[in-house]
Amino acid sequence: MTEQRHRANISTDPVKPSRKPKLRPIRAVPRKTYSSGVIFFLAPAVIVLLAVGIFPLLFAVWNSMHEFILSRARIYALHGQPFLWFQNYLGLVNDAGFRESLFRTFVFLLINLPIQLVLGLLIALLLHKVGHEWLKNICRVSLVIPLATTLAVVGLMGRLMFNSSFGVVNYAVATVISLFHSIGPLLQGHFQVLHGFWRHVVPSNMIDWLGNPNLAFATVSIMDCWQWTPFCALVLLSSLTLVPPEIEEAAKLETDRWWQVLWRVQLPFMLPGITAILILRTADILKMFDVVYTMTQGGPGNATDLISVYVQRVGFRQVDQGVASAQAIVLLIITIILSRIYIRYFYREI
Amino acid sequence: MAAIRISKRRFGIAHFVGLLLVLVFCVFPFYWMVSSSLKDPGLILTQKPTLTFQPTLENYQDAFQRNVGGSLGISLFVALTTTALSLLLGTPAAYALARFDFRGKKDIWFWFITNRMVSPIVLALPFFLLASNFHLIGNPIVLVFIYLTFNVPIVVWICSDQFRGIPKELDEAATLEGYNSFSIFWRVALPLGAPGIAVSAIFCFIFSWNELLYALILMRRETQTAPVVATSFMSGYQVPWGQIMATGTLVALPVIIFSLIVSRQMVRGLTMGAIK
Amino acid sequence: MRRFFCNFVFLLLSASPQFAGAWSLEEAAKPYSGTEVSMIFLDRPGYNAIIKLLPDFEKRTGIKIKYQIVPYENTREKEELDFSSNGELTVALVDLVWIGEFAEAGWIVPFEEIKKKYPDIIDPNFDINDFIPLILNAFGTWQGKVYGPPFDNYSGLLYYNKDMLKEAGFDKPPETWDELINTYAPKLTKNSKYAFALQSRRGETQSCDSFMRFLWPWGGSLLDAKFHSNLGNPKSQEGLNFRQSLEKYMPPGIVDYDHSDAVNALAQGNVAMITEWSAFYSTLVDPKSSKIVDKLGVAPEPKGPDGRKPALGGFSLAVASQANDKQKAAAWLFIQWATGKEIGKQYVEAGGISGRQSTYKDPALLAKYPFIQPMLDSWQQGVPEYRPRFSEWSKLTDIIAEWGTKMMLNQVSVKQGSDEIGTRTEAVLKDAGYYDGKKPLAQ
Repeated sequence: MTEQRHRANISTDPVKPSRKPKLRPIRAVPRKTYSSGVIFFLAPAVIVLLAVGIFPLLFAVWNSMHEFILSRARIYALHGQPFLWFQNYLGLVNDAGFRESLFRTFVFLLINLPIQLVLGLLIALLLHKVGHEWLKNICRVSLVIPLATTLAVVGLMGRLMFNSSFGVVNYAVATVISLFHSIGPLLQGHFQVLHGFWRHVVPSNMIDWLGNPNLAFATVSIMDCWQWTPFCALVLLSSLTLVPPEIEEAAKLETDRWWQVLWRVQLPFMLPGITAILILRTADILKMFDVVYTMTQGGPGNATDLISVYVQRVGFRQVDQGVASAQAIVLLIITIILSRIYIRYFYREI
Repeated sequence: MAAIRISKRRFGIAHFVGLLLVLVFCVFPFYWMVSSSLKDPGLILTQKPTLTFQPTLENYQDAFQRNVGGSLGISLFVALTTTALSLLLGTPAAYALARFDFRGKKDIWFWFITNRMVSPIVLALPFFLLASNFHLIGNPIVLVFIYLTFNVPIVVWICSDQFRGIPKELDEAATLEGYNSFSIFWRVALPLGAPGIAVSAIFCFIFSWNELLYALILMRRETQTAPVVATSFMSGYQVPWGQIMATGTLVALPVIIFSLIVSRQMVRGLTMGAIK
Repeated sequence: MRRFFCNFVFLLLSASPQFAGAWSLEEAAKPYSGTEVSMIFLDRPGYNAIIKLLPDFEKRTGIKIKYQIVPYENTREKEELDFSSNGELTVALVDLVWIGEFAEAGWIVPFEEIKKKYPDIIDPNFDINDFIPLILNAFGTWQGKVYGPPFDNYSGLLYYNKDMLKEAGFDKPPETWDELINTYAPKLTKNSKYAFALQSRRGETQSCDSFMRFLWPWGGSLLDAKFHSNLGNPKSQEGLNFRQSLEKYMPPGIVDYDHSDAVNALAQGNVAMITEWSAFYSTLVDPKSSKIVDKLGVAPEPKGPDGRKPALGGFSLAVASQANDKQKAAAWLFIQWATGKEIGKQYVEAGGISGRQSTYKDPALLAKYPFIQPMLDSWQQGVPEYRPRFSEWSKLTDIIAEWGTKMMLNQVSVKQGSDEIGTRTEAVLKDAGYYDGKKPLAQ
């Protein structure tokens, strides 16, 4: 159902996406009303975003090609800032810390993004399915709660709940273990095996969530999933509403298996939403800073030192805005590349 | 026949349990935050977390002494204004991207997205310089505009999906009746796109409300937003858990209320979709 | 030399016709009434104390004080952003490790310049020699120039639980680190209670509180006289190895403990001893946050083989260069008042820590706050370069924080970790020009 278009007078330049082409349709009269509307619809948003966003971005690019250490501001005022070509960028190649941190962030991404997507999908399906209306409404509102919590508070909440001595998580674990002990005699032989296995994994009841590097990584992941799975769920839920009800009904009559309905009918409509989530979450995880900062400061050791924590350290603790800008531009390029890939493989216009 | 009915009922129970799990998953940490905020400060740090305790409001009293109240007002102003502006700017753009076809459309759509990709860490200094040039440091208006850079893309994204899902026959019918494209947008697309608009409004509000870095750098004491005040005493040095949890709760409440109000729109949109 | 100069200035002032009668704050502040002075404060007792006393200053001088409370972790970035882009701060809060950077960047004004430019606002009673020499030197002086007086002052102290010690058979705290680990620790670590907790979270906590603390008392240090790494020195290695062996007497997950966690561990009775900042005294005697109010003991930090070298930290206040003339004068009036003799006692009563010797001459004050005497003792013996205060510290602290925590986690051995820190530190210092004479060897 694509409109046909006739391109006369095109002033587009594919390299600069911000130019808006003029449309000259050759269809019959009713279509003419679509022609000039485009600009008025798009222009306000584009102009405002350009006005606010372009200068800082260009400034950051400029910074990345110069030396810009804040404490030398006076020297720069007198002698100007040294132009470094791409030295800041080349320096990143040698920077082992940057590479390690980037790798760590990708591992984080690969673990958490699928979890959030799948869980979000399940939740969206549960909320879409007919039945238990009042509970569904309460659920839908409660989905907002994790998102509504300020990131820094999420980090601190994590510290409180996962604290090894007075955290509620370890308390729950201890309760489960004592329950297990009390029903243990009923299981007899199996109990010994299970108990041995459990003790091998968890040496004591006080699981050291935040002091053990691997567990700290897991804890940060858990808090991230807690906060963003509802986001995925809400986006996918609004995508689900796009599925024409007739098609859904027909599919449900044809087969009893919900996953077939999902795969054949519902998913194709959700692909734009899924692509949106993929791109947004990738960008956000590459920018993720507040939660890690308040929970672990990047430690213990290097365990939770995600890339933006690293960039912040360079930009604000070593106050080298030049190198930090270069790092951020590299991250931007990575995000753009990944987004293009997502779009190519997942996006389908409906 | 009986087998199908039984399996349907089991499914109903599974559905119920599933929803319940979701509810617990979302709410438990929040419940923990609220209950900690009502506990005596010393009680929070004890070895055994207690589920029953004497509630006390002293954490909230301490929190209000820190001018949390005023900052809530500022945050409300900034979040509401930027959400309204984002919707104003974003929905027409989303409609254009959904309905019209023109060269460069994909690129514009992608450009909207890239606005959200650059780390605020390196944009903080440029924004600071820009704002101080215009003598806008400490003026919440500057936050309203900066937040547009990440709110408008969200609106454009979610709403363009929503608008694309509206059958084109409705548009054509309206055109034949003589409506111009703006009226179609106003009368047809917006009401039917309500679920998406509502969701994006919630997101805009949340992201603006919770934004920390720009607010920390660009605002002064009298005009600090709520998250900045909430985190001003969160240092590794001293962690007054009770107060922190109290401010966290206070900061989260307006967002929840806003979402409650707006989600009714979502439901209305859903039922309208069915009648479509 | 300084004394001579001060006396000279005093004579000059007294000889000048303007010095008719006593200097008064109200008189000196008259030309600056209505000026706004802005600064950053932390959410700590010392600042809350001065905030309580502010209305009095504002009433007497008409100068308006605007402050913002920012977490310590964000303070430096906010100040740096402000100073490097002609912002609005007129008073600089300077952590002792930032003074090299701020001074070299030209962001703060030396005291001498203020004296020269605004002779009328200098209180003859200011008496800069009244400040405890170590902290004036460490917090407010760089390369011989004084930039500002110490304001928020800390020393590391040994806090201990008297009851836990008594139960284990000790009626006084350990004098030396050796005693602590060999005699005290084994007896105090049992039944899920531990002898010691060392705040070691990655960040400034690790580099200052955890790492440095175990170098100096053993005679080791980060850098030698020529600014090369001194971590390979056997004395430094001894100290760091000591820290490793202390770990078995500390709670698990100690590498994640920040100040509040260590203080809390003591306050809840889970740990017998901690070495923490003096400012935590108020938390430990507050019944709301502490269970050991009547069992708390305070002593100076234990000695190492090379003597007592307690942790040193603190902030000074300096006038920002970006302020205009009126603001500079008003800023100095505030700084002078806040650290002045007049309000010294009030400041301590309100919860602050004064840096003046005269304030502590009052025996009643010493009796009321048992942590003051150990703190004063510690300040007699500390090292001003406990942490190097040059501008490269920001890079070094991150290196130390990363590898220090890795050492504690046993991800690298002490020798490997020290070598890593050494190599990277030398690379940073070489870049900065310390090895080829471009920069003077000042820390």
